[in-house]
Amino acid sequence: MSGGDYLNNPEQEAKEYNQRYKYLYIIVGLASLLILGRLWHLQIIQGQELRQYSERNRVKEVKIPAPRGLMLDRNGEVLVDNLTGFEATISPQYAKKLEETAKAVAKALDLETEKIIKDVKRSKRQNGPFRAVKIKDNLSMDEVFRLKILMWDHPSLRVRETIVRHYPLEVIGAQLFGYVSEISKSQIEKFNNRFSGKFQFEQGDIIGKQGLEQEWESEIRGFDGLDFVEVDARGRQALTDTPTFLGFESFPETPGKNLVLTIDKDLQLAASEAMNQQDKIGPRIGGLVAVKDNGEILAWVNSPSFDPNIFATGSSSKKWRELINDPFKPLRNKIIQDHYPPGSIFKPIVGLAALEENVITPTTAIQSPSQLKFGRRIYHNHSRVNYGAINVKQALEVSSNVFFYKMGISLGINNIAKYARALGIGEKTEVKMRDERSGLMPTEEWKQKTFGERWQPGENLSNAIGQGFILTTPLQMALAFNAIGQEGKLYKPLIVRRVINNRNEVIKEFEPELKRDLSRNEELALEFQSENSDSKTVTISKNNFKTIKEGLRRVANGDRGTARWWKIPGVEIAGKTGTAQVRSFSADQIYNKCTERDVDQRHHGWFVGYAPAEKPVITVAVLAEHACAGSSGGAPVVRDVIRAYIEKYHPEWIKQPKPRKKKIVKAASPAPATETPAEESGDSSDELKTQNEESSEI
Amino acid sequence: MNRKDNVSLEERTFFKRLDLNFAFVIAALNLIGLINLYSATHGVHSSGNSRLFWMQMVWLSAGWLLYLLVTLVDYRVFVRLAYLFYALNLGALVGVMVAGKSFYGAQRWLDLGFFRYQPSETMKLVMVLVLAKILANKSTQEGLSFRDLAIPGVLTLVPFALTVKQPDLGTALLIAAIAFAMVMFVRVKKSILIIGLVGFLITAPLVWNFGLKSYQKNRILNFVYPGRDPRGTGYNSIQSKIAVGSGKVLGKGFRKGTQSQLEFLPERHTDFIYSVLSEEHGFIGSVTTYGLFLVLYIMGIRIASQARDRFGALIVVGVLSYLFFHMFVNIGMVIGILPIVGVPLPLLSYGGSSLLATMAGLGLVSSVSYRKYLF
Repeated sequence: MSGGDYLNNPEQEAKEYNQRYKYLYIIVGLASLLILGRLWHLQIIQGQELRQYSERNRVKEVKIPAPRGLMLDRNGEVLVDNLTGFEATISPQYAKKLEETAKAVAKALDLETEKIIKDVKRSKRQNGPFRAVKIKDNLSMDEVFRLKILMWDHPSLRVRETIVRHYPLEVIGAQLFGYVSEISKSQIEKFNNRFSGKFQFEQGDIIGKQGLEQEWESEIRGFDGLDFVEVDARGRQALTDTPTFLGFESFPETPGKNLVLTIDKDLQLAASEAMNQQDKIGPRIGGLVAVKDNGEILAWVNSPSFDPNIFATGSSSKKWRELINDPFKPLRNKIIQDHYPPGSIFKPIVGLAALEENVITPTTAIQSPSQLKFGRRIYHNHSRVNYGAINVKQALEVSSNVFFYKMGISLGINNIAKYARALGIGEKTEVKMRDERSGLMPTEEWKQKTFGERWQPGENLSNAIGQGFILTTPLQMALAFNAIGQEGKLYKPLIVRRVINNRNEVIKEFEPELKRDLSRNEELALEFQSENSDSKTVTISKNNFKTIKEGLRRVANGDRGTARWWKIPGVEIAGKTGTAQVRSFSADQIYNKCTERDVDQRHHGWFVGYAPAEKPVITVAVLAEHACAGSSGGAPVVRDVIRAYIEKYHPEWIKQPKPRKKKIVKAASPAPATETPAEESGDSSDELKTQNEESSEI
Repeated sequence: MNRKDNVSLEERTFFKRLDLNFAFVIAALNLIGLINLYSATHGVHSSGNSRLFWMQMVWLSAGWLLYLLVTLVDYRVFVRLAYLFYALNLGALVGVMVAGKSFYGAQRWLDLGFFRYQPSETMKLVMVLVLAKILANKSTQEGLSFRDLAIPGVLTLVPFALTVKQPDLGTALLIAAIAFAMVMFVRVKKSILIIGLVGFLITAPLVWNFGLKSYQKNRILNFVYPGRDPRGTGYNSIQSKIAVGSGKVLGKGFRKGTQSQLEFLPERHTDFIYSVLSEEHGFIGSVTTYGLFLVLYIMGIRIASQARDRFGALIVVGVLSYLFFHMFVNIGMVIGILPIVGVPLPLLSYGGSSLLATMAGLGLVSSVSYRKYLF
């Protein structure tokens, strides 16, 4: 047969295919064998077994939620744990009279019937009939009993035990621990794409939303267990075996791992109490962080705060809105998520730079008159005091602005930045928490790049006293001051010390980590400096650290120290007060006393202190927003926290021990009321005045 | 008088020419489908949805009208118009991409107001016509060459790609399978067979890694390991097997299926209709229904072998492969020998597009049969 004549003879054409139909029969025949064989296998051979499962028994899926891991403090005391509660559910599979059930439940629990029906129907569509639908959680015992009675008539109704996250410290440290709540729809998708396999989220799952809860989710969260139980037509458990031959495989829940923190619970309580002390200033707004000598975080308190327990039990949107709209931002972790100008607490770093760059020696006395003319502007000491010729230790003690203006002029911003950055100012501390601010340590190049403008010589002055562009976080300052106290050892902050399982076996351990060691012995220094003068590794001699430490000691102990009213008998505190400008004021406002202004226009007060002054074991940084000054706003708070720590761990250091034990009792600070306010308001408004004069004259 | 005789003569001729046995088998399957759909939508244990049943009655009437209409028109008219149909249908497929209705995350329908039209469903039949038209003139004893396959290949690939994009991998694969079956029936050269096989082996792992969406992979993985995800996609497969098996020999009785009625099966009136049938009517019911399909194929193959020209033979082979693949994939999925793919069971599943397309296809077969005596 050739192809040419087909069209003329269609009958012949079609016959060409005749040999091929047998293949169609063969294919259909083989497929039929396969299908009929399989039907035989399922319906005749396995029929009886499968009939039993389909008719007498139904499989019910029971999810066994895994409890989240605990958070313990450094001594094993519970900071975050779980409570058991009860929730009401409806299983769509057995809800044959859903309307009636919903009506009865709505009446018992004071809910809306329509909403219950809607929720059940939606879940049935989305998750299948096995999944029980949560109607209400956190039931009261009263409600539980009411439902228990209803359960007889409504087999789909169940009361389930649940696990509720519990924060015994309530508002204290809420921003550190974070909170948990139900996973959002967008998160389900995001997480399930990221983690494949067993770690799958679904609607209704609880997840960490902030702080350590969020950061350590994968450790804290266990794996939910899954059980398939056979139940009879009324939903009651029928057999104890699990029907494994169908591929159902139940697995037990795995509890989450526990975190052992470096936090000290007592200190956390003391810190909160100190922040809320009832002195003239009242409860502080801001943050407090206490660091051990090796970088371990001992206390972490923000104020005002919120109670994370309200989220764990299903927060009302009203409460949530209140928190969001609160002008003092209780949800914010101000210790790392906000940055502030450091003000005078920056002076020790400038002092170190001046010593290292040989602008001064420890004994060089510099004239520090009440004011200094630079360019066309006049810069003042606070309260326009003339300190005469003072050295760097004395300058720190009295917090002389003019002394450090002069240092700023001689050093220039780049030399200051070199040492400030070495001490961690303007860089992230690498605390393992989300949204940490890096702060800012400017240089001449930075300004050129950011604003396209040259660095003005006058800016050396304002930045030398911690105003101007410099921004820092409380945590950065605490670690920097600890590094000064440790004579050069800058640590990374450590919060989670160990991850342990329920049998107390250590899964992961985290050691304190030195970020860099700046200290240098004097003999080595000479050759070191001459050989690598432009080496990137900045070092600071131990003697210079000692000089600055002496200055800081005098702040709290000297006759003219700006924080000399707050002492602990037997233990010397060292530290530095600071005042950070909130906003610039017009000329007439600037002369008002800080405390007479509206709260949101008052300056922030800083105090960063450590003790003992010689060889510190603890450093505490306090930022008190709108507290006007660091000496009265921050220093008493720091003192109280340090005292609590020393009373607990080194009680023998304290002389003439007072009758009170461990915890600090609300005690008005023995601050001389007449002396401090003058000092503070002078301190702050003078600093501001220089700012104002600058701006008015430019 | 005379006029009446003429009419009766003509009627007789029509019925004599019409393959009545073929039509009876179709009607029998329709009847089973209706009874079964009634059960699936009016179960003793579940709340009824009678609208679906009445809609299906409407589709069925329309389907039979279409069947008779297509039977009466000479199939060579359809072959002549094949390219026009192809162009229109391709336009509709593109329209779906642009303005289609999205269900379960896939855009498959065009909303025509009274009817949600699914162009990929009719595309399968149009492919049969187009390929019959091309291949009938290309056929030689030694088989099709690369050049012969170029145009059919491109014409298949375009709707295939558009359907994959919807995404509806199941329908796309069926379009490809129908084209493949027709080409293989006409025969290709051995060398092409070998190259095709090698090409498949090379591209398959690439497609698995880059071409398939995760839900598609899951379905295949769950088919291989049913216990992998008993709550997710594996769930349907397990529940379907329980339903079929629990029917035993005689079944649980009309409207008395527990697995399917209690909504263990989410799409029991469409893709899982056969498991309802198997559960309620047992081995007897499922085998009888399957037997009717078998009879339909055997009659169809006979009609093909008696066709008066190649167009007719190829159209019948195409329509038969369309029916066979749908049935095999659907039943295979229900009884757990194939992974879960959203493919309806012809004549039994609920759905207008599927039913009308099937009836039109069977009408084509009937049309070929109708003209086997006319020379």
